[in-house]
Amino acid sequence: MNQHNQSFSGGVFHPSIPGGRAGAEITINRGEIIAYTQCDGQPVFSIPINQCQLDLGGASGRMLFCRTPDGQLTIFSEDKHFAQALDLHSGGLLGNQINTLKRAVRSESKKLGFWILASSLACALILFIGYFAMLWAAKATIASLPISIDEKIGKLALDSMDVGKRLDSAHPASKLVQSIVDKLQPHAAIPNMKFKVIVVEDPQVNAFALPGGQIVVFTGLIREATSAEQIAGVLAHEMSHATLRHGLQSVSQSLGIVAAIQLFVGDIGGLVALGAQIAQQSILTSYSRTSETEADLEGARMLHAAKIDPQAMAEFFGLLKEKEGDIPDAIAWISTHPQHSTRIENIKNHQKSFPATQYEPLDLNLKEAQEAL
Amino acid sequence: MQVDIRNRPSFANLLVHFSPGDSIIAEAGAMATMSSNIDMKTRLNGGFFGAIARRLFGSESIFINEFSANSPGELVLTQPFPGDIVCTELQGNTMLLQPGAFIACDPTVRLSLGWAGFRSWIAREGLFRIKVSGKGRVWFGAYGAIFEKEISGEHIVDSGHLVAYEPTISINVGLAGGIFTSFFSGEGVVTRVRGQGKIYMQSRSFDGLAAWTNSHLL
Repeated sequence: MNQHNQSFSGGVFHPSIPGGRAGAEITINRGEIIAYTQCDGQPVFSIPINQCQLDLGGASGRMLFCRTPDGQLTIFSEDKHFAQALDLHSGGLLGNQINTLKRAVRSESKKLGFWILASSLACALILFIGYFAMLWAAKATIASLPISIDEKIGKLALDSMDVGKRLDSAHPASKLVQSIVDKLQPHAAIPNMKFKVIVVEDPQVNAFALPGGQIVVFTGLIREATSAEQIAGVLAHEMSHATLRHGLQSVSQSLGIVAAIQLFVGDIGGLVALGAQIAQQSILTSYSRTSETEADLEGARMLHAAKIDPQAMAEFFGLLKEKEGDIPDAIAWISTHPQHSTRIENIKNHQKSFPATQYEPLDLNLKEAQEAL
Repeated sequence: MQVDIRNRPSFANLLVHFSPGDSIIAEAGAMATMSSNIDMKTRLNGGFFGAIARRLFGSESIFINEFSANSPGELVLTQPFPGDIVCTELQGNTMLLQPGAFIACDPTVRLSLGWAGFRSWIAREGLFRIKVSGKGRVWFGAYGAIFEKEISGEHIVDSGHLVAYEPTISINVGLAGGIFTSFFSGEGVVTRVRGQGKIYMQSRSFDGLAAWTNSHLL
């Protein structure tokens, strides 16, 4: 191998060059690093190897600089064989220097990696805390808003929804449901909330509550129920959604997450926005489950207060377990109902905390209502 | 071929005076006006994949235009945003330009795309940069005025203000100060440039403009 003919592309810094710098072909010969420039007059520069002061850096982090002790002349190259050649020609003199420099660069990039990791974790933590702070703030704000807002939103939502054929309020089924609601109403958490029931002809075993106290019950549910207490259980659950103001919370959350991300991240690009939306979807789903559980427990409390056995609610979930109705997407919290067995368990456990009471059976004729359908 | 940079610094543009046989390479779309005797040839900006890579990662066009003339003529080249244009003369050395900065060069200059690395990306200077090397003049532009600085050691530039630098300079990301200062001073992440060589900076940054515009939108 003829090392004397090895040449490396690089450059030179020297004040004598117009502009102070030029590209150069570098060779190592007879103990000197020699740079042949390409600028006018093609001047040649050289540094004796034993006077060379090494440095590693540049945009790539792999550029090797050789400087004269006075710092006037610098010859540099990015060629990976340049370091080897220098080591070889210096008789191992510069090899140690090169290795020390490389180690320093490596440890610096490790340090950078650590900082990137640490700061991403910190950002994630801030977002996480910020998110829950936002939820808490939204909940607190909603609690201070007047019920009339819920009523307006509920009315708007119902008007824009095509729920199907409504039963007349004089229909025995409508009367049955309304009388249960009337019995539960005095025990609702918000005393002045006006509950209104709409019975809709639909085979689905389902019911939903809109903000402000409008409750839609499908005839399928009345047909499937084996006792009036079971219908009372479902109604208590739906009324609780309204009194706990879950509708407003879910709206404020959808807006809140986007607002929170914008607050922390600033202007968000398309990709980030998409990511946020996906995250939001999954967060909302699990939050709605929390609402469901809340409504179950509050419903059980209402039933107990109205002297109706909360067990009927659990019973009805047992029925639902067997018969799952088609779920319209528009009603978010129905599609996110938790596992029935978990809910039954929760209600039973919650009931244990109530003082012992003599439950009274409902004096209502379910059979008559079912036959009229 | 004489090239004048006119209307500096706000609305700088290049006035190219062609002598017979002269030619110049320019970014696609940079031509504003020219004499009818000037030939314009469009070709891929480097190889096929190189051109596509430069389009995707370097914010440059897939095509570049070569203007040439066999008789005297004039050509005006410009850039899409208001700001200054500078010329640097390469003598076999290399210069790294931020995406979108390149405007024109002598035909002897080689254009390629270089990987700038994640540090550069975090510093909001882009993952890639345009590499110009060889012998000849290069014209590049910036948003706002351009100022250059010969670095020896370390220097701090706010992110988004670095337009061009030499490969002998290393780019590092750093916080402007302590954690509190960095977050609330409005400086946040800064670029620490280190080494020996020249850097070019712009007096305005696109991020700054975008943030300012955003704050005025409903």
